[in-house]
Amino acid sequence: MNYLYDETFDGFLTCVKHHYYTENAEGIFPNSSAYQMDLTRYAMTVETDEDAARIVHRAIVNKISKWDAERVYRVFCTNEPEKEMKMLRYLRLGFKQGGRIRLLHGHPVVNDVQKAEQRLGCEVHRLCGLIRFSETQDKLLYAGFEPDNDVLEFLAPHFTDRFRYDPFILHDKRRDKALFAYNKEWQIAAFGEEEGQEIQMSEDEATYRRLWKEYFEVMATKERLNPACQRRFMPARYWKNITEMST
Amino acid sequence: MDGRVFEKLTVLGESAKYDVSCSSSGADRTNIGRLGNAACAGICHSWTADGRCMSLLKVLLSNDCAYDCKYCVNRRSADTKRCTFEPRELADITMEFYRRNYIEGLFLSSAVLRSPDNTVERMAECLAILREEYGFAGYIHAKVIPGVSPEILTQLGFVCDRLSVNIELPSSESLSLLAPQKKATAIFGPMRQITQAQIEQKTLRSPGFRERLLGKSSGAAGAVASAGIGGMSDTDSNHGRGMNADEDGIVPDGAGTLVPGGAGALAPVSRYKYKERFAPAGQTTQMIIGASPESDRQIITMSEALYRKFSLKRVYFSAYIPVADQPELPPLLTPPPLRREHRLYQADWLLRFYGYTADEIFTDSEPNLDVDLDPKVVWALRHLDYFPIEVNRASEEELLRIPGIGNTSVFRILRQRRIASVGYDDLKKMGVVLKRARYFLTVGGRYFGDVPFEPLAIRTALGGGVKPQISLFETMTPGLTLGGEHELFVR
Repeated sequence: MNYLYDETFDGFLTCVKHHYYTENAEGIFPNSSAYQMDLTRYAMTVETDEDAARIVHRAIVNKISKWDAERVYRVFCTNEPEKEMKMLRYLRLGFKQGGRIRLLHGHPVVNDVQKAEQRLGCEVHRLCGLIRFSETQDKLLYAGFEPDNDVLEFLAPHFTDRFRYDPFILHDKRRDKALFAYNKEWQIAAFGEEEGQEIQMSEDEATYRRLWKEYFEVMATKERLNPACQRRFMPARYWKNITEMST
Repeated sequence: MDGRVFEKLTVLGESAKYDVSCSSSGADRTNIGRLGNAACAGICHSWTADGRCMSLLKVLLSNDCAYDCKYCVNRRSADTKRCTFEPRELADITMEFYRRNYIEGLFLSSAVLRSPDNTVERMAECLAILREEYGFAGYIHAKVIPGVSPEILTQLGFVCDRLSVNIELPSSESLSLLAPQKKATAIFGPMRQITQAQIEQKTLRSPGFRERLLGKSSGAAGAVASAGIGGMSDTDSNHGRGMNADEDGIVPDGAGTLVPGGAGALAPVSRYKYKERFAPAGQTTQMIIGASPESDRQIITMSEALYRKFSLKRVYFSAYIPVADQPELPPLLTPPPLRREHRLYQADWLLRFYGYTADEIFTDSEPNLDVDLDPKVVWALRHLDYFPIEVNRASEEELLRIPGIGNTSVFRILRQRRIASVGYDDLKKMGVVLKRARYFLTVGGRYFGDVPFEPLAIRTALGGGVKPQISLFETMTPGLTLGGEHELFVR
């Protein structure tokens, strides 16, 4: 049986419940037009059931661990292909092994999850440095970027503390949503590409961008150029949102 | 903002880039001012075209130098454009860059502007504007000018996260030859004061010494704290080697005068609710590689001594790029010794995270590191009698000696071993570099290397080239027989 769900975490947890109580899940897919009909299997659209989700979540916390519940959520926020089945396999193993599942580093099921989680963690850490803010006319800080994974809420603790007294917007252009924060409080809301383009920059903004770019250029040591190394740390797909790399 | 600022920033950035350190690690702080915080792991913000990370706004306060060090771009006799930042000017740029998340903080260094004290006072003025007036709580790394007076250094330490004093060259002979105005005492005095102040403040956190993490010895920090800086604990024989630097006359006894009553006596009245801390991220240093004739062994022994005596966080190496045509220096157009620098860093990591000592890394016949292979592999090839190591039985220290296995893989192997045995396929998933590791380990009793278990064969398989390393055989353990092949290569 293939399950189709609405791409929410609760929806996924409902699928987990159906896996145990309705029929084994052979595939879990987002309920979108991208789903290719599979002639050998039935597909069922799962209605998200918050109560069922809560029960499954509590079961994960009690029978595996709170940390693993969070881990599964982190994997849910990645763009890992077939992440739903990887998470399900992890949970199934977890219900058998209990809290010690995280010690099984070499197990293929654990390894899949560990790798996906690591990629998310890496991207969050990297973006803490690579996000570039601009000052708007209203003295707000605005940053648009295109992350691979859904990282907004993981960036929140770092930036809300750092810019505690500066209101700022972190705009995930790829997912059309943004994080709005001020004074340690934050929330995530829909925010379209067009809305991002409407933002007017302050007068000083262009000057500081130019100053930064010129500084950046002179800091490279000509005798030891190594652009491959530069790209390894700062992948080219991020460049258009990085002040010093975009033209 | 006028055009002068553009010029100053590029000129003073250009002059500052030969300072290698750009880390923003070691301090963990939430936003206690108005803007900024510090993450313990450090955050890189950009990478220049040479592949090096840019974390801090690395800039000189001035490049108008009174000294004439031969290897330096800013030496007095060099014909370059000179400029000096006004303290407030630089503080403004730092704030604006930080707001835009271009940087993680400020790395402030300077040429010697008239005198060391005058220079550091101006630096401290700029940092005080940042910290006190602007409420900047981000990272600040300041370079200490050798010869600065203890009172001014104390003032500087309380507004900085990290301090560093550059050693510049690995021996005092080279120093007096190439940087005649810099004296070894003037370098080690401030270094000693910083360590002392940190001990008093209980902020001393040593580099990642393996033995200390494992609780095997009293630990570098503990030893320094109990015995003072001058005398080292003699319980650990390794500490004895740490004194080598002294014998060479590089670390003179009684260098620099300590502040009476220590740094605490001069501590300013606290601006915040919490206790102010003296350089919580510790101190680092830097030396130039390839400008003077020292061997790798001297350099690494020197680093080890610095780690143990002063509990430095890092010793940075900087491959010398010819900037001046001087008879004492390598000629212009000599390419910077990048490979050597890389191998030195690898050896440095072995010291700090793998529990090696400098004397283990080198032998008397090989005072330099092998350029073809990393020092860990070289050590393993010299001690093949310890190998292969069984992954499922070995202790943590033994696992760490296997080339291709690092701290993270060891952690994972040990964790999995608590509940299940480790298989060969698991190792790759744990992050082990099997390309190297497979020649030095067994899994469940099975050996996975595809060449004979001999130093030369493994060396070739690892890309070490077949050039006869005579010294390799001399130091080899007698238990190994090489047969005809041995003779062939010696001849």
